[in-house]
Amino acid sequence: MARAAVTGPAADTVGPARSATGRARMAAGDRWELLRALGALILDDPTVTPALSRALGLPEWSRADHTGIFVLDLPPYASIHLGPEGKLGGEGGDRVAGFWRTLDLDPPSDADHLCSLLALYAELGTAAQECVTAAAAARLDHARAVLLWEHLWSWVPGYLAAVAQDPAGKAWAELTGQALRAEAEATPEPPELPAALRHAPEPLDPGCDLAELLDGFTAPVRAGFVLTYRDLLRAGAEIGVGVRRGERRFALRSMMEQDPVATLRWSAGHARRWARIHGDQPDHGAGTGRWWAQRAAATASCLDEMRAGR
Amino acid sequence: MADPDEKTPDLAALGARVSAARAATEARGETFYQGASRTVLAGFPPIERWDDWVELDSRAWPKRVEHHSMLVPTTCFNCESACGLLAYVDRETLTVRKFEGNPEHPGSRGRNCAKGPSTLNQVTDPDRILYPLRRAGRRGEGKWERASWDEALDAIGSRLRAAIVEGRQNEIMIHIGRPGEDGFTERVLASWGVDGHNSHTNVCSSGGRTGFQFWTGIDRPSPDYANAKVIFLISAHLETGHYFNPHAQRITEARASGAKVIVVDTRLSNTATHADYWLSPRPGSEAAINLAIARHIIGSGRANWDFIRDWWNWQEYLRDCRPEGPQTFEAFQAALGEIYDGYTFEYAAAESGLDATVIAEIAEVVAGAGTAFSCHSWRSAAAGNLGGWQVSRTLFFLAAILGAVATPGGTFPNWYNKYVPKPIYTPPHPQVWQELSWPLEYPLAQNELSFLLPHFLKDGRGRLDTYFTRVYNPVWTNPDGLSWMEVLTDEDKVGCYVALTPTWNESAYYADWILPMGHASERHDTHSYEQYDGQWVGFRQPVLRAARERLGEDITDTRQVNPGAVWEENEFYIELSWRIDPDGSLGIRSFYESRARPGEKLSVDEYYGWMFENSVPGLPERAAGEGLTPLQYMRRYGAFEITRGRGAIYSEDIPGDELADVAVTDIGRVYSATPKPDSPNLAPQGAPEPDDQGRRAVGVMVDGSVRRGFPTPSGRLEFYSSTLAGWGWPEHALPGYIKSHVHPDNMAADQMVLLSTFRLPTQIHTRSANSKWLDELSHTNPVWIHPSDAGRLGVARTGDLVRVETEIGYFVAKAWITEGIRPGVVACSHHMGRWKLVGHDAVGSGGMMATVALDRDREGWTLHPRQRVKPYPSSDPDTQRIWWSDTGVHQNLTFPVHPDPISGMHCWHQAVRVRPAGPGDAHGDVWVDTAKAHEVYDRWLAMTRPAGTFSPDGNRRPTWLMRPLKPAARTFKLDAAAPAGGS
Ligand code: SF4
Repeated sequence: MARAAVTGPAADTVGPARSATGRARMAAGDRWELLRALGALILDDPTVTPALSRALGLPEWSRADHTGIFVLDLPPYASIHLGPEGKLGGEGGDRVAGFWRTLDLDPPSDADHLCSLLALYAELGTAAQECVTAAAAARLDHARAVLLWEHLWSWVPGYLAAVAQDPAGKAWAELTGQALRAEAEATPEPPELPAALRHAPEPLDPGCDLAELLDGFTAPVRAGFVLTYRDLLRAGAEIGVGVRRGERRFALRSMMEQDPVATLRWSAGHARRWARIHGDQPDHGAGTGRWWAQRAAATASCLDEMRAGR
Repeated sequence: MADPDEKTPDLAALGARVSAARAATEARGETFYQGASRTVLAGFPPIERWDDWVELDSRAWPKRVEHHSMLVPTTCFNCESACGLLAYVDRETLTVRKFEGNPEHPGSRGRNCAKGPSTLNQVTDPDRILYPLRRAGRRGEGKWERASWDEALDAIGSRLRAAIVEGRQNEIMIHIGRPGEDGFTERVLASWGVDGHNSHTNVCSSGGRTGFQFWTGIDRPSPDYANAKVIFLISAHLETGHYFNPHAQRITEARASGAKVIVVDTRLSNTATHADYWLSPRPGSEAAINLAIARHIIGSGRANWDFIRDWWNWQEYLRDCRPEGPQTFEAFQAALGEIYDGYTFEYAAAESGLDATVIAEIAEVVAGAGTAFSCHSWRSAAAGNLGGWQVSRTLFFLAAILGAVATPGGTFPNWYNKYVPKPIYTPPHPQVWQELSWPLEYPLAQNELSFLLPHFLKDGRGRLDTYFTRVYNPVWTNPDGLSWMEVLTDEDKVGCYVALTPTWNESAYYADWILPMGHASERHDTHSYEQYDGQWVGFRQPVLRAARERLGEDITDTRQVNPGAVWEENEFYIELSWRIDPDGSLGIRSFYESRARPGEKLSVDEYYGWMFENSVPGLPERAAGEGLTPLQYMRRYGAFEITRGRGAIYSEDIPGDELADVAVTDIGRVYSATPKPDSPNLAPQGAPEPDDQGRRAVGVMVDGSVRRGFPTPSGRLEFYSSTLAGWGWPEHALPGYIKSHVHPDNMAADQMVLLSTFRLPTQIHTRSANSKWLDELSHTNPVWIHPSDAGRLGVARTGDLVRVETEIGYFVAKAWITEGIRPGVVACSHHMGRWKLVGHDAVGSGGMMATVALDRDREGWTLHPRQRVKPYPSSDPDTQRIWWSDTGVHQNLTFPVHPDPISGMHCWHQAVRVRPAGPGDAHGDVWVDTAKAHEVYDRWLAMTRPAGTFSPDGNRRPTWLMRPLKPAARTFKLDAAAPAGGS
């Protein structure tokens, strides 16, 4: 059922898609509409979004490409990228849900999905434009800035970099990155790092056991990098080990069992690549990109040390 | 991320392209964001998929079982807001699976309150009435036999024909509860030549309406909440979703944009809990608070003098009331200050029991609103107090001082934001005047004196041959319900009582005929209500009829698709009118004949097809753009927005071709000899009288040009009402403060005020009692008592029984000890205390009706619950799951009538004595002395200033005032001959 779980008073500020209000305010909202559309593309079955792709000048996705990227390989959830366990929900999900509640909104079931976050961002922008008083508009603009720095800029640049590595996702990822950078440039810098990074778990320790290592590899905020199943396939081909079908933790364990040194070496290289990717990000968000780069670099050093110890 | 060498895309151009693509897609009636809701945070099935919407059956999980539905729009019938509903009609079984909001409805925008989706319960209620029933035993005995529609129509049609032919038109009356299509019943009656429209409005909103009408000539406000800076509500339920969920959502938008919400309500309502300021005044003091705020605005230099100079009737005031002084605006400014100088914060504080500094703070907030001040007062104080109509009048006074009239964020007259399409036939005005509804004592009454009917009948002022109630329950809803019962059981007073109702109710027990009418998804109507600065028309339709027509079936009668023999009113009245006048000799049938097929009956398709084709601007073009007829469009979308941003219509210039042989009075009223242009919008408003040359009132002179003005006698906002002054009430000709009948001066030391007007957001009068979901949510009405009063009265705990004594009886209820009510005041909600009589086995009691014994002795009437609600077997397994037994008390039985001598509104507040219940008292007990009730009626009647004595022009009533059904001009004359029947 295509009905949001968004209820509660503040939900009423936004209006349904096709309400007359929605129609009336579009002209002033091109900036928001672009972000809304970029989010909608990754949420919806691509067979119902050709008009969106056309309007954005993006190639149309096949269902398989869309599912491969956004459902299987890189589900676009903040909780996966910022949560200490790298999983849906949990602390990472709660943090986003808390933000919705602060706005007097009931968080929808997928509150931390990139589409939901971009839609909320767009709605806050639209609502601020429609405010009667400057104070109310300033409050909404502030909320939008918090959303940007805490829940979007804190993980989306890295996420987009991962998506861009898939040829089918490249054009969308680049355009979304472009739009997000424009938002970052137009928004006052935050005073400090986002809470999810300030309170991030400790980096990997060279003395950790295999289970902990595998946990860390699949939690971006722990390792500083994104590791997809495709990455593992590539690694397997490069270092000459078999990659077993299954979830990433299972496949990695099998690789480590087959050739731990080569696997650690490849992983350290992967971490260094990500340190560069993060380091190349524009310097916004009180050093968010630098934080990620340092985290990836720390993981690389840790892995080097572990390999040296073997 | 992006390759730095790559060409940067032009984001602005892309954004514009997406916006344009969305606009173009939506202009075609299609959905741009088709997927799930997160894109827009509130998504709905796209209209392209309404013919076959697929959902997975959650209960079948993990199997993947698809439900295929047709989505058919209709309009909620549970309250006046007329929100859009979408019926999910199962494609296999052709039954309604659920109701959700209709995103195409511009007023409700896809949202509903709990009562909208609960329409499903009403449709599937195992105890609903499915067939016409004829009384089999004595009236009220509870014996019924099933009859056919033909039998019912013939029997009732021949009675009506006889009354009409014999000149007894005033013995016919239709009494309306929930309004259906605007003006429909009025036109039916007009076509019969009968002035028999009676409404519930004088126990509802007429006090509030009166205050607005005296200012603007239009009896409802339309606040532009969404754009307001300050929202001032002297009401609660209106904005909490009981009424006007569409308003509630816009108030919420305004709050998110920084607006301040002020709620004045003695009781902590849902609305009050969301307010920035909650004021809990002594009941009846609200007008004094308003006037203190007005004084502050004027005194602090925030009055909008330019607006006042142009649009108030200050010249008329000076001319009539201060003829000796200078006739200048400056003199008026000084006078305004003088008139209200006594309304200091301290005075308002003394009257209201509030702190003067709090009133001062509120006044400052209001004064800062400028022209973005939205206000509303509907029932609440305006419906509770003697002189309550001055509450809404003094409230609008604030908007008028600020110039916040028809401005963005301001308060509009509702006529600007309402659209009532002209129908295929408009019958002429009846040639009779119904004294039972519009008695001489109440020449200025806003609406029919409906709740006095039993007393008028007892006084021998007339009798009724045939009395219809339409989705109305007078015995339960009105004050003094047992007097109603007494006349309904007396066949000399009411010859035949026909109850048009979907469900059993306390009045239907006394009917001769019960005719089952459809719920929201089983009938046709159009609707339009003021909800923002725009106009829309909504369409209610029998959804199974529309669904089957989509599948190619030809449905010609709504009974073909409704359950049992449930019908709809349009087809019923068409058929009944043909039975009254089968050969057309009475001139009635002609209003119900097809134009396309002369000599045949008008069908609802032709009726609405004509209306949508000819009377709704823009709809034919919009429909054609989608390859649909206007009727097909409305059947598909359920609503159409006609205009948006009407703005300040009063300030529009009158076009030159409307001006001929123009006359301008000394106060700038402009009359023109041109005929009134024909308008397809029949939304009601005042009708200022022509001048003595017969020229119509066309506008007012402002800054040397003729502007539209307001539909008042002066054409301006009437600070001073020459109507009130001329009809015997000069002391109330200006916005003022009338001390209520529950003012401390008028009560004994041991009395408290009982507030009984408030409702719960999850019930609606007695109509929703067959909604099991709503019944589970709300089924009882304890008496709210402040802890300090509870201690004083010896009420130890919440749940203890208390006896509440009114002037004519008492009721026994449970106490709820709460700080949500002001000390010295108790409150008990509406809706509850439903009952059925012992022995009425045909009546299913559902989850809301206790079974009671009703006995009479020399002293009075006793109602005593014999059996509480409990689980019972039925076709719905949920009736076995009823877990509650407490369904409250029917307090209205113990209230005598309190007709306000000016507005005619029943003043609901009661002066009561509250004490712990005695050993013989049981929860739900009621005792009433109806002889005493008649004495109270006499006492209030004596407060009137009847037209026979006070009319300044020989009329029964000022002709310019609104009246739902206006009879012919000659009937207004006091000396016009009355037909037989109701005097
Ligand atoms: S406010 Fe509720 S009851 Fe009233 S029309 Fe809307 S959904 Fe129905």
